[in-house]
Amino acid sequence: MSLKTWPLLLVILSLLLVANLMFGAVSISFEGILNGFQADSEHYFTVYEYRFPRTLLAMMVGAMMALAGALVQGVIRNPLASPDVLGVSHGAGLAAVTYMTLFPTSDIAWLPAMALLGGFSAAFILWWLCGNHSSAIKLAITGVALGALYASTVDFLMLVKPLEINNALLWLTGSLWGRGWNQFFILLPWLGLIPIALWLAKSLNLISLGDDSAISLGVNANTLRLTSLAVAVGLTASCVAICGPIGFLGLVAPHLTRKLVGGQHQILLPCTMLVGAILLLFADLVARTIDPPIELSAGIMTAIIGAPYFLWLLFKNK
Amino acid sequence: MKRFFACLSFFISMSTFAVTVQDSQGSFSIDYVPQRIVVLEYSFVDALAIVGVSPIGIADDKDPSRIASEIRELITPWESVGTRSQPSLEVISSLKPDLIIADYSRHQSVYKDLQKIAPTLILPSRRESYQGNLAAAAIIGKVLDKDDAMQARLAKHQEIMSEYAAQLPKGIEVQFGNAMEKYASLHPGKSYVGTLLQSLGFKAPPMLKNELSSVHTGLEQLLASNPEYLILGHYSSSDIANTWEKSPLWKALKAVRNDHVYHIYNPSIWSRSRGIIAAEIIAGQLVELLTSK
Repeated sequence: MSLKTWPLLLVILSLLLVANLMFGAVSISFEGILNGFQADSEHYFTVYEYRFPRTLLAMMVGAMMALAGALVQGVIRNPLASPDVLGVSHGAGLAAVTYMTLFPTSDIAWLPAMALLGGFSAAFILWWLCGNHSSAIKLAITGVALGALYASTVDFLMLVKPLEINNALLWLTGSLWGRGWNQFFILLPWLGLIPIALWLAKSLNLISLGDDSAISLGVNANTLRLTSLAVAVGLTASCVAICGPIGFLGLVAPHLTRKLVGGQHQILLPCTMLVGAILLLFADLVARTIDPPIELSAGIMTAIIGAPYFLWLLFKNK
Repeated sequence: MKRFFACLSFFISMSTFAVTVQDSQGSFSIDYVPQRIVVLEYSFVDALAIVGVSPIGIADDKDPSRIASEIRELITPWESVGTRSQPSLEVISSLKPDLIIADYSRHQSVYKDLQKIAPTLILPSRRESYQGNLAAAAIIGKVLDKDDAMQARLAKHQEIMSEYAAQLPKGIEVQFGNAMEKYASLHPGKSYVGTLLQSLGFKAPPMLKNELSSVHTGLEQLLASNPEYLILGHYSSSDIANTWEKSPLWKALKAVRNDHVYHIYNPSIWSRSRGIIAAEIIAGQLVELLTSK
């Protein structure tokens, strides 16, 4: 199964990559794309300065969010789990909206840093409340409760400062609009978390047997859980800082991948990154081409695709 | 074709025009008269239209009627570049502009990208006061090499506005707000309409005097602020005003008791457009409303 799935996913990804470069408010031929990488081409800005970094960013963010989802689902051992249960994206959202509404004239360049700080603070608060030894389920419930608290604070802020809603709401839907090389290079170092995640794959297989079995097979369950969640937090917070919280990606991508390649983490983790990248590339392509020159947010698209899929999944498994 | 452009740019560089102005990011210099201009907020369309310049692209939310018809009459058809909040950089680039005018509040996050497409003048539009808007228009006049025309138009604007102001009562607390489905959205003292009303000699109700962003209000809060005159904008015929008028609290309002509630149907020029033409239309409508009684 997985032997066939790999190349298939890669082919889809490459096709989408080309499609993302070719289509948009202005369509460019394949030849135009190739020329677009030269500085003297008339499509240089659109292809090299705009679509190419945005496409790369979509692939990175998609892959990282999906990987974070797979890690969280792996250690919490609950199919409903996603990075959202850690409250990280809501924490990042709260920090970003606070920054935007309370300091409306401040420099927008600090927004990613603020969101990142918010994401990590949320994770830290969760860890501080739950400690090193709490069960997966306690962690999840605490995380969800904290997430709800952050989300309602965001609503409160937006009701108090309605004029700032536009900017904040836009950011909260998760968008790749206006993201380019600058954001790409900010996100690049965070890719370093991916090898750590892959290195955890084998132990994640064991922990899926239950804590006791895992411990008897030589896995330090607590350390593994903390490391995995920390990596997931880093992946999510860095992505959210750049693009805003893109919904459902961390939930749906690992699910879909598990259906395709099974639950063995050595295969699941790399494949889920491919699936995540495919989903976000597709979402952004649709968001840009559905009603040009109007740009929708990719996050709205992932929710439109993700939510029905998730419902279908729930009912089918019943 | 290439030679033609080379010649053209040669002639442009030969011309003596060069100007440096201060915009929201610092100093902005341009050494040619821009011909292909893309604007990303409505108020900039107004500023171009009054000196007879037509933009080739406008972030009009893909709905040309968003530009007030009085302004539309003055300019030639344009290409939509998408929404004001997320304008399509691809379309802007495809129009090959030689000047982009962007809004500091909305577009500072893509300022660097816009600059890669064309020289970008970034000025305050959203959240800007009436006076700030006039100042931005003056800067745009300089950059378009229409300084004289712009100054003349601004002087004429002052004249028109003082004529209107002379016909309006002075020192009265006036509140403008749009009646929405569930609440009224009041434009407070520091908003564009708020500052415009004050420049015409009205006062802002003390409660909202120093607020900048629009305030969602229920009837009780409106009564607490209790303005002497109330101007309500209506986008539809079934908004909150219908409910309010049946309430006893409504009759307690000063404006209601003294018969000083005024209605604007289709208030989009009040709530969205900021600019010289928009200000004159608003002032004209005010005179009509307040003196017809």
